[in-house]
Amino acid sequence: MKKLRLIAILVAVGSLIAAQMLSAQMISGFPAANEQEAATALAAFNKADKGRPDPAWRGQKFTIGVYSAGQRGAISGPLYFWRNKFEELTGASYDIVEIPFAELREKIFTDLQTGAGRYDVIINCSNYYGDYIANDWILPIDKYFNDSRMPKWDRASIAAAVANLMKWGDRWYGTNNDHDAQVLYYRKDIIESPKWQAAFKKEKGHDMPVKMDTWEDVLEICDFFNGKDWNGDGKPDHGITLHLKVGGQGFFHFMALSAPYVVIPNPGDPVTKVTKYNNVYWFDPLTMDPLINSPGHVKALETLMKLSKTGSPAMWGWSLGEAWADFLSGKAVMTFSWGDVGSLAEDPTQSVIMGKLGARGIPGTKTPYDLQSKKFLNLSKPNMVGNQVGCSWHPVLSKYAKNPDLCYYFMAWQATPPINHWNVYMGWTGVDPGTTSDWFAPYGSATIQEYVDGGYIADDAKAFIGAFQDNFFNYKIFQNYLRIPGTPEMQEVWDVHLSEAITGQVSPKAALDRTYADWVRIVADYGKARMLKLYQESIGYKP
Amino acid sequence: MKRKDRAKYLFVGPGILWVLVFTVFPLLYSLRLSFFRARLGMAQQFIGLENFGRAFTDYRFWSVLQVTVFFVVCDVTLTVLLGLGLALLFHRPLRGQRFFRSVFTMPIFTAPIALGYLGLTIFHEEVGAVNTVLRALGMVHLPAWFSNVWLARLAITLVDIWQWTPFCFLVLLAGLQSLPDEIYEAALLDTSSGWGTFRYITLPLLSPVLFTVTILRVVETFKILEIPFSLTSGGPGMATQTYSFYVYLTGLRNFNAGYASALAYLLLILMMAISLFFFRRLRRQYE
Amino acid sequence: MSRLGHKRDFRRMLIWCAIILVTCWALSPFYWAIITSFKPPGVILSKPSLIPFLQFKPTLFNWKNEYVSRGREIGGALTNSIIIAGGATLVAVSLGTMAGYGLARFRFRRWKNKDMTLWFLSQRFLPPMATAIPFFILMKTLNLLDTRWALIMTNATFTLPFAVLILRDVFKELPVELDESAMVDGASRFAIFLRIALPLAAPAVAVAAVICFSFSWNEFLFGLILSYKNAQPVTVIIAGVEHTQGIQFWFVATRLLAAILPPAVLAITAQRYIVRGLTFGAVKG
Repeated sequence: MKKLRLIAILVAVGSLIAAQMLSAQMISGFPAANEQEAATALAAFNKADKGRPDPAWRGQKFTIGVYSAGQRGAISGPLYFWRNKFEELTGASYDIVEIPFAELREKIFTDLQTGAGRYDVIINCSNYYGDYIANDWILPIDKYFNDSRMPKWDRASIAAAVANLMKWGDRWYGTNNDHDAQVLYYRKDIIESPKWQAAFKKEKGHDMPVKMDTWEDVLEICDFFNGKDWNGDGKPDHGITLHLKVGGQGFFHFMALSAPYVVIPNPGDPVTKVTKYNNVYWFDPLTMDPLINSPGHVKALETLMKLSKTGSPAMWGWSLGEAWADFLSGKAVMTFSWGDVGSLAEDPTQSVIMGKLGARGIPGTKTPYDLQSKKFLNLSKPNMVGNQVGCSWHPVLSKYAKNPDLCYYFMAWQATPPINHWNVYMGWTGVDPGTTSDWFAPYGSATIQEYVDGGYIADDAKAFIGAFQDNFFNYKIFQNYLRIPGTPEMQEVWDVHLSEAITGQVSPKAALDRTYADWVRIVADYGKARMLKLYQESIGYKP
Repeated sequence: MKRKDRAKYLFVGPGILWVLVFTVFPLLYSLRLSFFRARLGMAQQFIGLENFGRAFTDYRFWSVLQVTVFFVVCDVTLTVLLGLGLALLFHRPLRGQRFFRSVFTMPIFTAPIALGYLGLTIFHEEVGAVNTVLRALGMVHLPAWFSNVWLARLAITLVDIWQWTPFCFLVLLAGLQSLPDEIYEAALLDTSSGWGTFRYITLPLLSPVLFTVTILRVVETFKILEIPFSLTSGGPGMATQTYSFYVYLTGLRNFNAGYASALAYLLLILMMAISLFFFRRLRRQYE
Repeated sequence: MSRLGHKRDFRRMLIWCAIILVTCWALSPFYWAIITSFKPPGVILSKPSLIPFLQFKPTLFNWKNEYVSRGREIGGALTNSIIIAGGATLVAVSLGTMAGYGLARFRFRRWKNKDMTLWFLSQRFLPPMATAIPFFILMKTLNLLDTRWALIMTNATFTLPFAVLILRDVFKELPVELDESAMVDGASRFAIFLRIALPLAAPAVAVAAVICFSFSWNEFLFGLILSYKNAQPVTVIIAGVEHTQGIQFWFVATRLLAAILPPAVLAITAQRYIVRGLTFGAVKG
């Protein structure tokens, strides 16, 4: 009896494994899900510049380290998808080592610090650059730009803010891949419905600020919708949904929301110039004193807290999956988060809001804080600050790579506009838009048909891409990205304190004061002078 | 006499040797590291006892210590009591004993990481199993488990108890079953009271095993990490961030290896103090 | 007579109620995992549903997805975990049983028994983080990174104290007379251990084995640190459900169930060896 049981189990497991081996089908050299996917990929492949692969590369292999998401998962998926074609092109191949997300940084840094050299190419998060540069762990790639063996990719077409993340100072280290930013998503059908607009006017006494240029507008609208049954299922629904859980990337919400309260443009020329008082968010660029508890930051946190009460109280403990599900399943009228929401909205297994998606760039505020005059300003037109919060996952070259030329070939090939754009419009790849190849005319060269092929509803794609294009190309100033050693630790303590404020354990000011104290200590640990220099380099501040 | 003397070393020898080889080096290395400032990519600086001193002024240190002590007291008490109850329940001729005992060993085989992630769906405010049941029982204001400090702690306690009661149950059951039968027979002749038998006979005889189980659980719960890690990520704020979690964040996430080692040693000292206390109190039981 | 009989029946019913309740409590998360694995991803976080077919349409989508794209990895991880946990248990139980017997039966003069026991126990005191970096360096030096041997040795070290402590207690409970009578007959210490003490402590040995196996099976941190690709245990694969798009709960369910299968089979088969009752006939004499 026991033996029979064991045999049954073995057979089951064995057949499952067999099934897996049998189902790996190749269409035109791609492990594609269907004919159409393979056809569009092949078209992209043919259009892309292939350079002239060096015959010496035949038979060689390198290793790519990427976070674990599987063969059809975000960011790691394209690596599997394009591998066969890479082998065809160069005669070389690569191993993909997936690292659990929770330990990604630990494994990469340990590998680099101990010189183990297990990963040649690393698909990394942009905020690792501080440690990379400080420890000289990655190779600059400028020298390859004129190498005739290498595919050409269009650096100028990348959104300036994201392009900055692939550089340090004037040197390039990374190649084009993902472009992260948060945009505001909303239910177009509800917000623009005359019925609800009339109800809003009745309740609040003025027209619904449908444009939602400021966070105050967003707050008003979410407050209105929260608790009402606006989706017709008989139960009260939510206004906004946010992923505010500790460790659930909640601090990115605050980062995106608070930028317009803190980052103001340079009054002179150019508006993007970084000075002591303008275009700074994190630290004072002269003294390395943290700015994180400035009155602007505190006011922004108070706004976020008010916003966090216009949705489900459970969202204080929600991470990405739960928060997005609230919006995708039609229970929340708004959210602001990354491009994944746009692509998941088109996935019929997870979303019921296909065709109903509205999106716009991150709102601003009319009352930012001026560090110089130490007062809140009162603007007639809202202060809008573009953001690139997130990771913008892209490949870099480890110093210990045994064959850096071959590795760079792969990196550049994936960065070529046709292939990168294909990765963007195929939602399952998790690669978000950020170059002119991804925008529609008149801003770029993409067509609606491509996105429809990738599974998007035409109107949703227009809204989604329009919002990203707006954020990356039309916003005049940007929140700069923190890329100094110790960044992950600073973000971790900040995340904890934000959660303490949101769940009412401390006041907003106290939470940010605690963050200030922690950051002072971390900076001191790493060496203030050293950190100041790296910070100035990373944000482009010239004394 | 001579043979006996030599044989005893052969019994404990291999175990001791193994532990020496595999723990002495790591422990010494960690101890050394705790006297240094060892940040990523920077040369190590000797700073003496500064890491230890810093711990005492670190409000996070005290917070995580309190949270951990709370979990230790709560979880261990509940798991041992429940485990004891279950062991007594099953210490009788029952049909299908083997089936039930197999069922009860399943929880301890569940990877805590997976359990924590699953717990997110179980404790989900709207669609989770717990709240669905509570809603069916008529509760109107359903608890938002992860948005509230004490509810989050309760959630972790519940998951932890679910996982570890079977451990106590198994060990206590084995202990009960090793007790000689004739003592029970003798007791039954004197008194037919179940409670009396339990209190004056079973309990004292079981106390060494009870003691072992308790001390093992205390030691383990002090290091609780994976369930808060996957279920609440230490939140809300730091309400469920346990000591081990803080050490992990400090050492492996923030690469502050020196401070992390110091924290680890502080915990070691604390636990040695606790168990010395335990061992001394019940010295009579151990020769 | 009837009154006593009723009382006894009532008691029995109570006991069975308790047992059923407790069994449900023990199994409910598994039930939840099973139904979650059959729910379409969109339903998992949006509709409260406890009963399949009635409240949601079960689908094989998640299982197919998982095994078509990750089947080989999961199979490999399961194999790794079985070898690692099995190997570690073997080492830990062998060393621990012997040490437990030694501590129970002999008196040590220079290093007291109590202290030695405490020393074994203290191996469990350090948070894993304290030994993580040194272990990594140790394994790197021995060139054992990303091998199952590294994890077997690591887990054996960590679970050894359990075996020592549990077996020590049980051996102490065994009457010394058994040993002494065998010694009079001329048996060696080791023979007594092997042929008399061990069989009598068999239930405890089984329990210790189950506990050591389960700890090694669930061990996550060192599995993560010491493995890259080849020696990944199943806990690391489970942790792979979390990525930038959040946690894929449907895969949590499928992987949890896959991960519990081998130990469940082990637990069912090991029950056979936890025999009830010990023979004291020899002592009573």
